Amino acid sequence: MKLLIVDDSNIIRSRIARLAGDSRMPPCQIVGLAKNGSEALGLFTQSKPDVVTMDLTMPEMDGIQCIEAIVALDPNVLILVVSALSDKATAIRALMKGAQGFLYKPFTDEQLIGALKELVA
Amino acid sequence: MSMSDITEQEIKVFLDAVDTYFSQITRERAAVRAAYLADGDHLPQTYDFTGLIAVSGQYRGCLYFSAPAVMLRHLLLVMEEPSHSDENFLDAVGEIANTLAGNSRKHFGETMAISVPVTMKGAPERIKSSVRARPYVIMVSWKKYNASLVVDIERND
Repeated sequence: MKLLIVDDSNIIRSRIARLAGDSRMPPCQIVGLAKNGSEALGLFTQSKPDVVTMDLTMPEMDGIQCIEAIVALDPNVLILVVSALSDKATAIRALMKGAQGFLYKPFTDEQLIGALKELVA
Repeated sequence: MSMSDITEQEIKVFLDAVDTYFSQITRERAAVRAAYLADGDHLPQTYDFTGLIAVSGQYRGCLYFSAPAVMLRHLLLVMEEPSHSDENFLDAVGEIANTLAGNSRKHFGETMAISVPVTMKGAPERIKSSVRARPYVIMVSWKKYNASLVVDIERND
């Protein structure tokens, strides 16, 4: 699968990228790392990923706006939200905009791998 | 519009968030000392790097997480992050502050809007101007290091 990682934290982008190469993961090619929604949209158009991990609280364009824009471009893309926002309303909004999964920060390695495997199963 | 401080019971939401953060990320719990209202004449100590989140919407104020470089270096090591640059230390305190604020919305709900993190090196005056005289202070000890979480949030009644 082709994976696009979207998060305003360099540490989180780096951690997800490292885990994407874990042996427990399905074969995975990272096609882009974006630090906000605007950057993600550009990379999405260029690289056409199958899966996107999406933070929500980001500068310039937030994750909810970005999900909406990405799903408009490709309704079949799989989006896993990875966010600290732990209220139910936000999770429901993200899912209604087109995300298929929601993983709360802070997450363990096992939780991220499990969530991505479940998403692509 | 009248304002009221969040309660001591609600401060427990942040204590729990700190506990969850260190347990999940490092598999080693942090010791979290009881929250107290800082003395108005002495704002709580800030460490080498600080991440601040502004709160708006139905709530107003901010919270910030401040930690020494040596603690952040150890934390990045545990997270298998190879780059221990100032840039990543700033990123770490910002991400921790964002995570603690975001997790608190499980209790406060989406009407507590939170900003993207503002990160700072040193102990800038900006922090003093962001915080009222008597915020809640939560002291965090992980391994042999100390850090602080300062919560200064009031509710629009």
